[in-house]
Amino acid sequence: MDDVISGAYVFTLERSAAGYALNKMAKTLGSAENRARFVRDEAGYMREAGCSAEQIDLVARRDWKAMLESGASIYLILRIGAALGVTLPEIGAHTAGTTLAEYNARKAH
Amino acid sequence: MATLIGGIGTSHAPTIGVAWDRGQQNDPQWEPLFSGYKPARAWLDEVRPDLFLIVYNDHVNQFFFDVYPTFALGVGAVHAQADEGYGKRPLPDLPGDPDFAWHLARSLVTDEFDPTICQEMKLDHGVLSFLPLLTDTNWKVPVVPLAVNVIQHPIPTARRLYRLGGALGRAIASYPKDKRVVVFGTGGLTHQLHGSKFGTKNAAWDNEFMDRLESDPAELSELSIQQYMERGGTEGVEMIMWLAMRGALGRKVRRVHRNYTAPFTTGYGLLVLET
Repeated sequence: MDDVISGAYVFTLERSAAGYALNKMAKTLGSAENRARFVRDEAGYMREAGCSAEQIDLVARRDWKAMLESGASIYLILRIGAALGVTLPEIGAHTAGTTLAEYNARKAH
Repeated sequence: MATLIGGIGTSHAPTIGVAWDRGQQNDPQWEPLFSGYKPARAWLDEVRPDLFLIVYNDHVNQFFFDVYPTFALGVGAVHAQADEGYGKRPLPDLPGDPDFAWHLARSLVTDEFDPTICQEMKLDHGVLSFLPLLTDTNWKVPVVPLAVNVIQHPIPTARRLYRLGGALGRAIASYPKDKRVVVFGTGGLTHQLHGSKFGTKNAAWDNEFMDRLESDPAELSELSIQQYMERGGTEGVEMIMWLAMRGALGRKVRRVHRNYTAPFTTGYGLLVLET
């Protein structure tokens, strides 16, 4: 099986292992209390959850595409987005290398 | 004796639940989806099932990658709702059916399918998105959920899910108590949530899939996971779970209802089949 299919990074065991700490942190955002703590201090919360400096940087820069490439699950990225008020269309457009405004404009044509 | 009375294939996109909660049933973009469910609900009202066996996938809400089961069966008396990141929806917890579920566990393992047995299993939009469109939300019909890994590769093949369906059919047929069962296959249809083809759907493939699911599911089950992802997106691969529903129903089926609409990023399919 290919590693990239339909223009997307396939969530393989290798990616799952590489992104484990980031995914584990995002899994904790299924509670309102944890979401509030994360939003108050993203880097501190992530450090405490065992994320690497690189993973903390990717979240700080909202680099959703690089998160996926380095092993984040799309469903857990969406949970980070939910906590931060970033929507699926915004995240999807970013991973396609564009912005939501550009994506919507292209779709409208 | 339990009877399998039919099967339902349905998308389980979270947007369906959001639109439902917001009361958007009559919005122009949503109306074709919501009215598409009305004949399915009318059929359920007519055939009066007393158990839903739902093949679905968890979206890393119940399970995490520390322990990620390929198949997992919810045998609890109650299935709580997961908080998917926005707080819980205003829906009561779902009733389960432990007696049937334990029978199903025994039957599946004897039949060489080995689900992880879960006495507690929180459910997400994989089940709760479409269910309010088909039944009263006081949840009179108990649900036995069977979760499938379609997220972390390697995932089971389409052929394995089709064969799992056969095992579900045998388990229902061997349950000694009276029970009218409807089997659900959920997920899809085509959608791509990320990458250079973000937002791409494939309506032609969605409709071909629903045609062939009805007429020739065995051939459909021979396609590889890569082929499913190339045609329907890396997330659209969920649609292979419809093959478990179809496999349970046996060779000949009668189509009761079918609907397709795709106003946003996911192809929303609905198919009701009778044995």
